[in-house]
Formats: sequence, C-alpha cells, structure tokens
Amino acid sequence: MTNLLVELKNSSQLKNLFFRILVVVLICIALSFLTEAFFTTNNLLNVLRQASLLFLMASGLTLVFLTAGIDLSVGANVGMSACVAAVVMTTTGSTALGFLSGIGCGLLIGIGNGLLVTLLRLPSFIATYGMLWILHGLTYYFMAGTTINGFEKSFRFIGSGYLYGVPVPIYIMTLFLILGSIFTKYSIYGQQIYAVGANPLAARLSGVPVNRRLMLVYVLSGMTAGLASLVFLARLNSAEGDIGESLTLPAIAAVLIGGTSLFGGIGTMFGTLIGALILTLVLNGMNILTIDGNYQALVTGVIIILSVFLDLFFRRKSGS
Amino acid sequence: MTLPILELRSISKFFPGIVALDKVSFDVYSGEVHMLLGENGAGKSTLMKVLCGAYQADGGEIYHQGQPVQIHHPGDARNLGIAVIFQEFSLVPYLNIAQNIFLGREYSGSIPGTLDHSRMHQEAKHWLRVLSLDIDTHTLVHTLGVAQQQMVEIAKALSQDAKILVMDEPTAALSDRETTLLFEMIRKLQSEGVAIIYISHRMAEVFSMGDRITVLRDGKQVGSADPKTTTPDELVQMMVGRRVDMAYARNFQSQPGRVALKLSHLCSENGIEDISLEVREGEIVGLAGLVGAGRTEVARATFGVDKVSSGTVEIFGKNRTGEPFQSVDMGLALIPESRKTEGLALIRSVEENIILSGLNKIFPSSWINNRKVQQISEDLIRKLRIATPSGKQSTQLLSGGNQQKIVIGKWLTTDSKIFIFDEPTRGIDVGAKAEIFALIYKLVEDGAAVLMISSELSEIVNVCDKAYVMREGKISGLLEKEALNEENILKLGMTDA
Amino acid sequence: MLNTTLNEGFTIFPTLKRIPGVALMLFACMLVFSILNADFLSVPNLMNIGVQSTILLMISLPMTLVIMAEGIDMSIGALLTFCGVIAAYFLALTHNLPLAICMAILVGLVIGIVNGAIIVYLNMPPFVVTLGMLGICQSLALIVTDGQTISDVGNTIGLAYTGNFLGIPLPIYFAIVSYVVIHILLYHTRFGTYVFAIGGNRDALKLAGVRVNLHHIAIYALSGMMAGLASILLTARMNSGHPTAAIGMEFDAIAAVIVGGTSFEKGNGWLFGTFLGVITVGVLRNGLNLIGVQSSIQVASIGLLVLVALLLDSFKSKA
Repeated sequence: MTNLLVELKNSSQLKNLFFRILVVVLICIALSFLTEAFFTTNNLLNVLRQASLLFLMASGLTLVFLTAGIDLSVGANVGMSACVAAVVMTTTGSTALGFLSGIGCGLLIGIGNGLLVTLLRLPSFIATYGMLWILHGLTYYFMAGTTINGFEKSFRFIGSGYLYGVPVPIYIMTLFLILGSIFTKYSIYGQQIYAVGANPLAARLSGVPVNRRLMLVYVLSGMTAGLASLVFLARLNSAEGDIGESLTLPAIAAVLIGGTSLFGGIGTMFGTLIGALILTLVLNGMNILTIDGNYQALVTGVIIILSVFLDLFFRRKSGS
Repeated sequence: MTLPILELRSISKFFPGIVALDKVSFDVYSGEVHMLLGENGAGKSTLMKVLCGAYQADGGEIYHQGQPVQIHHPGDARNLGIAVIFQEFSLVPYLNIAQNIFLGREYSGSIPGTLDHSRMHQEAKHWLRVLSLDIDTHTLVHTLGVAQQQMVEIAKALSQDAKILVMDEPTAALSDRETTLLFEMIRKLQSEGVAIIYISHRMAEVFSMGDRITVLRDGKQVGSADPKTTTPDELVQMMVGRRVDMAYARNFQSQPGRVALKLSHLCSENGIEDISLEVREGEIVGLAGLVGAGRTEVARATFGVDKVSSGTVEIFGKNRTGEPFQSVDMGLALIPESRKTEGLALIRSVEENIILSGLNKIFPSSWINNRKVQQISEDLIRKLRIATPSGKQSTQLLSGGNQQKIVIGKWLTTDSKIFIFDEPTRGIDVGAKAEIFALIYKLVEDGAAVLMISSELSEIVNVCDKAYVMREGKISGLLEKEALNEENILKLGMTDA
Repeated sequence: MLNTTLNEGFTIFPTLKRIPGVALMLFACMLVFSILNADFLSVPNLMNIGVQSTILLMISLPMTLVIMAEGIDMSIGALLTFCGVIAAYFLALTHNLPLAICMAILVGLVIGIVNGAIIVYLNMPPFVVTLGMLGICQSLALIVTDGQTISDVGNTIGLAYTGNFLGIPLPIYFAIVSYVVIHILLYHTRFGTYVFAIGGNRDALKLAGVRVNLHHIAIYALSGMMAGLASILLTARMNSGHPTAAIGMEFDAIAAVIVGGTSFEKGNGWLFGTFLGVITVGVLRNGLNLIGVQSSIQVASIGLLVLVALLLDSFKSKA
C-alpha cells in the first residue's frame, strides 16, 4: 500500500492527468449550464467524433513530441494523403487501393521528415515546416482547384457511420488509444523514445539507437496522419486542395494541452486524448454559443500559450 | 599593518534546501595570490558569484579597503575593481576582441546612440600589447584558442582597472607553455599591486604560485595555510575531512585473462593520435594525464561516440565499428565523465534509468513486463545500496554518489565484459567513493576488464594494475609495478620542461 | 561562414569555399532563369523583382536579429496581415492616412512587445509563443474585417507602392531606408552588439551588468514594428485590407534568413546575407512565374531552396 502511495505521490504524470480530466468535467458542467443544446446525445456524440478525428492526427504527433521534436507537417500530410487517396479511389474504383495509397502517402512523408532530421540533422521544426509548405504546394498543384467527392458508402462508413449507435471514428480512436498506449508503455521502443526525449546524449551513450528511434517516430507520425486522412475523407466525403490547412494548429494544441512536454520525455497517449477532448469541447462550446467562428484560431492560440505556460510553471515549481 | 583590499566577513548564501556558503570569512591583500581550494560543491563558485555580483549574499558583510560596501549587481563589483574570470569564459563568440572587452561599457560615438568603434579598438590594442598578445582586435573570439581567449578575459579585466582578479582553474585547459606565460602574467600583475584570488585543484601550482591558501569544505571555511609550511596531504585532509587512502583498500589479486580490449594506432577527429593500449580480463588499467590530454576522447572513440579516423578498436579480437549501441552489443560499457548530462535522464525515475541499457537483453521479445522491471531495479538498488525511497523516485533528487551508482548499475543488466570509467568518483563524498571502488573490484573479480580514467594520481596508483599516461593527445608511457607511482605519472603527463 | 571579421562588413574571397552559399544560389537562379526566359534579365523585370521584394525585406531584416538571438517569430506573417487590415480599417473609417499609418505601426509594436514579454519574462519557448500568436493574429484579422475585404481605402495609399521619385519606385526607398537603419542598429549601436550577445552568451551579458531582458524584448518589438511599417506597403500594393493577405509570409522570411547564412547557431548572423536571401527568394518566385509555374509549386521550390542552402552550408563546413 505504501508503495502505491509513494508511486502516486511521485507520479506527477498521474496528477497532471487527473487535473486535466477535471478540466473536461468542469467544461462540460459549465456548458450544460450555459445552453441546453450542449448536453444532448447528438451533440455529445458529435463532440466525441470530432475529438476522435483530432486524436487520430495527434496520436502519432505525440510520439514525435516525446523525442523533443515537432511535426508541423501533420496537417499538410493529412491533406495530401486524403487527396491522393481520393484520386486513386475515384480513378481505380477500388477502396482498398485508396486505403493503401493514403497510408502509403503518409508513410512516405514520414520517411521524408525522418531523413531530414536524422540524416541532414535539421532541427525538426525547420525540417517539418519546410515539408509543410512543400506538401501544401504539391497538394494544391495536384488538385488543380478541383474537388473530388462522392465516395462509396462502404468507405464513408468509417467516417460517418454508426455502430451500435456510436459513431465509427470513436471505435477507431479507442483502437489507436490502446495500440498507442501499449506501444509507449510496454514496448522497449517506447521506453527508448522517452529516454531519447529526456536526454538524447545519455540515451546514445546508454546504447539506444537514437537515429533509428527518431526515424521511427517520424514514420509513425506520418503513417497515423495517413490513416487519419482516410477517416477525415470518409467524414467530409470530399477532397480539395486545402483540406489540411487548418488542421496542424489544433493537433499541436491537443498534444500540448494533454500535458506532453515540448522538451521531450514527458507525455502519454491518454493525455493527448484528453487534450483533444478539451480543445474540441471549447470549440464546440463556442459554436453552440454562436461565438463568431473567426475567434477559433485565437482561442486555440491562447490555449496553446496557456498550456505550455502552466506546464512550465508547475515543472519549475517542483524543482526541475 | 595594511588593510586587505577586500574582506568578506561571515558571508552566507542559501538556496532552497542547500546551504551553499556558511559564514565564510576571507580576505585578500594587494599584490598577493590567495589560493582557494575545495572539492566540487565546496562553495568556491558560489563565493565567486557573490564577489562578482551575480548572487547576493544572504548574510555577512563585505569590506573594501576597510569600508563596508554592498555588491548587489555586477556593476557594483566592477566599480570596486573586482573582475572574475570563470572557467567557462564570459565571451560572446561572434563578437570581436574589442567588442568583448568593452561589453556593457561601450564608448558612444559622435552621433547619439552609435558606438565609437575606433576608440574601442585602439584601447583594446593597447591592452593586448600589455599582455604581449599579437592579434588583430577585429578577430572574432570564437576563432581563438583557449589560452588566447583567457588572455582576452584578462585584458577585459585590466581595462576595467581591476584591482582584484578572481580566476577559476585558469590552467585547466592550457598547455605547459601557455601555463608558464600565464604565471608570468600573474607575477607581473602582482608586482603592480593587483590582488589575485586563484581557485585551483593542482597542488603544484598551489604551492608554487600561492602566498596564502584557504580551504573550503561543504560551504564552510575550514582553515588557512601557508604554502611554505604546509603539505599537500594536510591540504587534502582539510578538503576532505579525513584520510582518504582507506577508500582504495584493494584486497584481492587480479588474474588477468585474455585480451578484452585492444586499441591499435587509434586516431580520432578529436585530436588523439596513435593510441595503442590493451586491457585484459580481470585487470584494471588506468589512463592518466592532465586535463585536456585526451583521455575522455580515447574513451569516446573507443565507444563509438566520436568518429575514428584511423586505427582499430578490437573487442575480444573482433573489430568494433559504428554507433555506441553496436559497441554495447559487443559487450562494451561506458560510464561517462558527467553523470548529470551524459549518464542519466534526470527527469526519469531510478527504475527507468537503470534498465535502459539492458532493455534488449532483458526483454528479447521487445515487450516489457513491468513486474520484472521493478524486480530487477529493486534488486540492483539493494545490491548497490542506492539510497532512494523507491525505484519510482526521480533521479534528479538523489545525491551525486547515488546517481553515479545508477549509472554503473545500468550496465549490470547488459552482460558487459569491458567497462570504461571516466572519472568515476568525481564530486562524490568519501563514503560513496569507497562503495564505488568496491563495485569496480567486484566486477573485475568476476572477470570484467576495466579501463579507468582518473585525474586523481593516488587513485591511479592504488587501484590500477598498470596505467598508461597521456600527454597532448598521445600516449607518453606505460607504468606498471614499482614504476607505477605518482611522480612518474606526473613526469610522463607534463610536457618536457 | 566567411572570414574572421564577418560582423563588421564582409569581403568575398576568390576561393570558391569562401563565397557565401547564398551568392552562389542567387547567381545560379539568375543564370537558369535568364536562359529559360528572355524577359527575365530585362530592366523592367529586375525592377519588378526589387519592388516586389521590399515587403519581404522589411520583415526579414528584423527576423535576422530574432533568429540570431536564438529565437524565432512565427507570427510575423499573420501580424503583417493584421496590421494591414488595421491600416485599411482606419483608412475606411477616417480617410486619414497619417492616422492609419500610426495605428498600423502601433499595433505591430504592441504585439511585438507582447511576444517579447511572454517569451522573456515568462521564459517560454519563442516557437510556441509566436505560434500561438500566429493563431491570435489570424483571428483578429478575420474579426476586424468580418472575413471580408476592406476596399474603401482611398486613393492616396496606393501611391506608396506605385509612386515614383526621381524615377525610382517608392518601395525601393522604403527598402533602402529599412536596410540602412537596421544595419546601423545591428553593427553600430549597443543594442546590436547585445543581439549578438543574447544569442552567443546571454550570461556574459548579464554579468556585464546589462539589462538583458529589456534588450531581448526590444528585438521582438522591432520585429513587430517593422511588420507594422511593412503592412502599409502591403495595403498599398493590394489597395485594400484583406484578412489573409500575407498569411504564410513568415515562411519566406525565415527561408530568406536561413538561405542568407544566418543559422540558429549561437549568435551569428549576416544582415547582407538576408538581403541576398530575400533577392534569391524574389528571383525564384519571379522566374517561376515567368515560366508559368503556379504559386503552389513556387512555395514548394522555396522549401527546396532552404534545403539546398542548408546542405551547401554543411558541405562547406566539412570541406
């Protein structure tokens, strides 16, 4: 019993998660008071679905953050993979090929980022920032201003469908959550990734193959973005050049709000899920309360600054 | 009876949970070289920071030529003529010499707001000439060698009309020739009445250059000594608190087996040349030499951290190439010089740190079993007597000795056969030191091969079976049996007089 | 990247290794485009490049200082847009040009100070803070304009972009003045010296008794102020206030600075290099336009340009 208490006391991570779950509960309570429209099954499922989509993108991103890196190209990745998948599906008529090409596209982008960071030793935010613009440019060019829509029902199911009354993306999110948590907590790769983020030099000197693990996180981030793009595509039922544009900032926000540190070595999948929930709740609340949509970027920006500030504040207080 | 130019009375400085300085009293006279000695963590750098105004004392008084003064920020220190030269220089790499000398005190030009570059360069040239330094003042400081950078720091101090100069381990990164030049400079300053507070670990210079010696230990001033009458042993005793040779008590004979590690004509991009040495199973081989001789570079090249430019590293006859993780697979282990920055991930727990290197071997399936992790870590904590409330404790909160034990313990799960220790007992109290040596002995008894880098001459002499001495990037000699003594190590380690 | 006395001017040495990478790239680009399109090297076209690059120059110069001080300003594009919108707003409201100009500069200055204050006093990573500010400015621009373009800006402001003085377009004067002022700031004032120090050895500056925090914030304030100034040219060029006018321009600015040779290394930077970097980016865009390449690919090409610059740099330091 004392062991458990010691563990809890020392586990600031658990404490952080607890506070964040508290925030979720508080927001829900506040919104329920402010408007009737919030606490309806329809709206709640909507919120969960939105949060799932966001989490799918942010899950791979979390791994990158754990290594003290960042992947700014996530949104553009989703955009490009979705467009590629859309084009393939409509020209070949095969959903399976569409899947493969979407994931494949994300994977290639991930490999590209990984190479820039490990081989060329570029700081991750420059490498992925450059990649972001390259992808945007290519996607626009590729789509040439057209929109593709009208996908098969079986495909749309993964984005818009319901299973036992629950939207499908929520199942996918749960799957990602479980897989992601198992990977970070119970695989040696996960432990090594945390070590790389906490102290890359010490990790290298301890025999961790640092470059291989860095490559791994960018590849995984790219692949999950590719997967996420398919769900997005299924939900939106259309693809055009600018899908991914507004997705990067919320993804980063979700990871940061969830308590994952920019400086590496700290963070969990579940935290990112909570972060995605908090952000979605706030934006959803703003929608219902008919606050001007133009304020969304502002709120996201403020929340990002606030989360990082609080995170740093509490870390410094505990004497890091 | 003249007054000391600077006197500190009962100075105390506290940080949360630590007493860095505990009623330290200290003074210095014009024209004297006052040596300040103490182990790591004794309070020397805190004292320096109080003197230069970076820290404010929490208690005590400061007197300048008998008058009470306050030093609240760097400007105050400067006004009193105090200049501090830290070991990590206070130079801005991409500014030139003149700009560095006048940092914060720039001369204004005719147009308000602009700078008078020509005047600053003129004066800078003057100070460089005083120091016999023949370099263009437009040179960017990052292109200068360490010795030259130090001269720039001294020029900076002189240009501030410093009457009290504090120097922290000034010879640490200098060659013999450069050290001689520095000492000449110090004598010259002395003759001009400058008071010098000199922090050093090197007995030779403490006795040759010092007029007085003060020893700090654990934030307290434990005594003063006169270099003419005291002995190194006495000083060490004051620094440490008790006699140290007990720590080494080596009570077994080694039975060397086959050659485990063999370096042949190893050269790396970091300046080591033609390094050839051998370590056999069951033996402890020392690698001695002055700071900057290249010992850590040898360790890094052997382990794969630095790139090897020519020569070979053989582990049980097999060639080693590639990244550190490949060296680990072959049975090599490295306990690095700086445990906080190179040995541990401070924000992670004891457990997480201690199983890191052995993950592959403990869990060949790549899936971690948390109970096994806890078991192994508790086992090691017990075996190594690591003082921590639990395995889940963050390593940041542990003492230096316990942190070092974790760094060593990390390798006990990896089947390593060859251990390279780089300054294993630096900054560790005597009690923990003994435990660490006991650990090393146990490893060797069980058949490991150990290469130990140390700056403590008595460590090398008492612990090692044989020792290679390095000097300026090369091996200058091998000492064994009766030849393995402190004199010989010093002789081989220093450049030809 | 050059000889040992870099920070007070430069000299191009005859050996290839000593020629700054950006000069090589600029030369290469100009060569390629002059071959691909006959109009490229014409005087009107080169003038065009110059004029079109002024806005980028005005925000890239302070960005050089920000990056030298180990920071970054991701919000500069959104801030530029927002200030432009503010200028247009006040023009539409009061038709008072001086007032609109002052408001734009003021807003830029204030947001720059806010960026700096949060980064310095709260000790937060510049990347995150300015990224958040990017979102905030983006929103503010949308809110003020309600998503629409403000076109009622009057006739005078457009002249700042299209006007001439002594045969030279007005924007060029803006560019020259901006360059001269920032050059003097960086190389001939205490502030400039301290920019090198904040990036190179901040502690040394503190020990020298300097009020580091204030100077550090001033760097971001300068960046914001220049954004405000540049926004006037922006509004003049578009003859309106548009809420997404300069979104993404921070990318061009950061690219120009990196291509110009300033890296995120400790306190090293080259102002003229940024100028060359801006021209290179301008040449690239212009050249690609002339041969009919779309804007989207242009952006991708700039990304590649940055990669080439970084590769060149690492080759030279290994050679």
